[in-house]
Amino acid sequence: MSTVPAPASVQSLLTDGTSSEWLKSALETALQRDPVDALNDALLLAGVLEERLRLLFDLDGLEETPGKEDRV
Amino acid sequence: MPESRDSSGATRDLDPRRGRDLLLGRLKAYGAAHYQFRASGDPSYYVKLLTSKGERTLWGKDLERAITEGQTRPQIGDLVGARRISREAVTVTARQRDRQGRVIAQEERHAHRTRWVIEKVTFFAERARMARRLRDEQADVRASVRAHPELKSTFLTVRAAEEVAARRIANPEDRERFMELVRAAIAGSVHKGEPLPSVPLADRAAKRKREEPTR
Repeated sequence: MSTVPAPASVQSLLTDGTSSEWLKSALETALQRDPVDALNDALLLAGVLEERLRLLFDLDGLEETPGKEDRV
Repeated sequence: MPESRDSSGATRDLDPRRGRDLLLGRLKAYGAAHYQFRASGDPSYYVKLLTSKGERTLWGKDLERAITEGQTRPQIGDLVGARRISREAVTVTARQRDRQGRVIAQEERHAHRTRWVIEKVTFFAERARMARRLRDEQADVRASVRAHPELKSTFLTVRAAEEVAARRIANPEDRERFMELVRAAIAGSVHKGEPLPSVPLADRAAKRKREEPTR
């Protein structure tokens, strides 16, 4: 575990019984790394995993032209 | 290029070629609030999602219906999808307020209200499977309905369209083209997560009873 202070959210995730082992392990590993590189990689990972989910679940099968959100 | 606005008002491009109209994210918060969390904003409703590209806050009065009446009852922490499924014209009252929040002027404005669907992500995967079955002309309808009983009304709608086409469209190619369009439209609607068509199904036993000759 890194000696660099971590926010309370880190400890909360590590002790939360609902957190997956994969998440805890990834977080513990990430805490050893340069914080900029770790976050950069995590964002990249999130994007890639989203792409995988969209592909596996066929979530983008339609051509759409979304409009603007409501102003109210 | 179509666009959407996030909580900061910044514009994000949505690439229509990739059909990225489904926003995926972890449900962080939702509730009633003044638009953009400004005290002077109109009453609205927000849904906050943590996406792979950061936090997004969606605004719209229909979000309340979408989140509270969703089939999968999304909870905070769930991975959900949010999709606009239609827009309808509405008249809204724009109010101007003074520093004390008192209304000092108001006017009627024409606007559009977006209808949303917000469900756990598995709902959209299921709808994609259903849409594939509907598009597949060769699919065994009975097997499809066994796999997805909720599609029964949808298949009946397709069959009704086939009967109309058989009666009204003489040219086989035109008939085929018409049915392609119907199937694509219905499959598209199912894929988006719109409510499935509700065709009142006659109670066959009751119908038989009614048709029995009285003695």
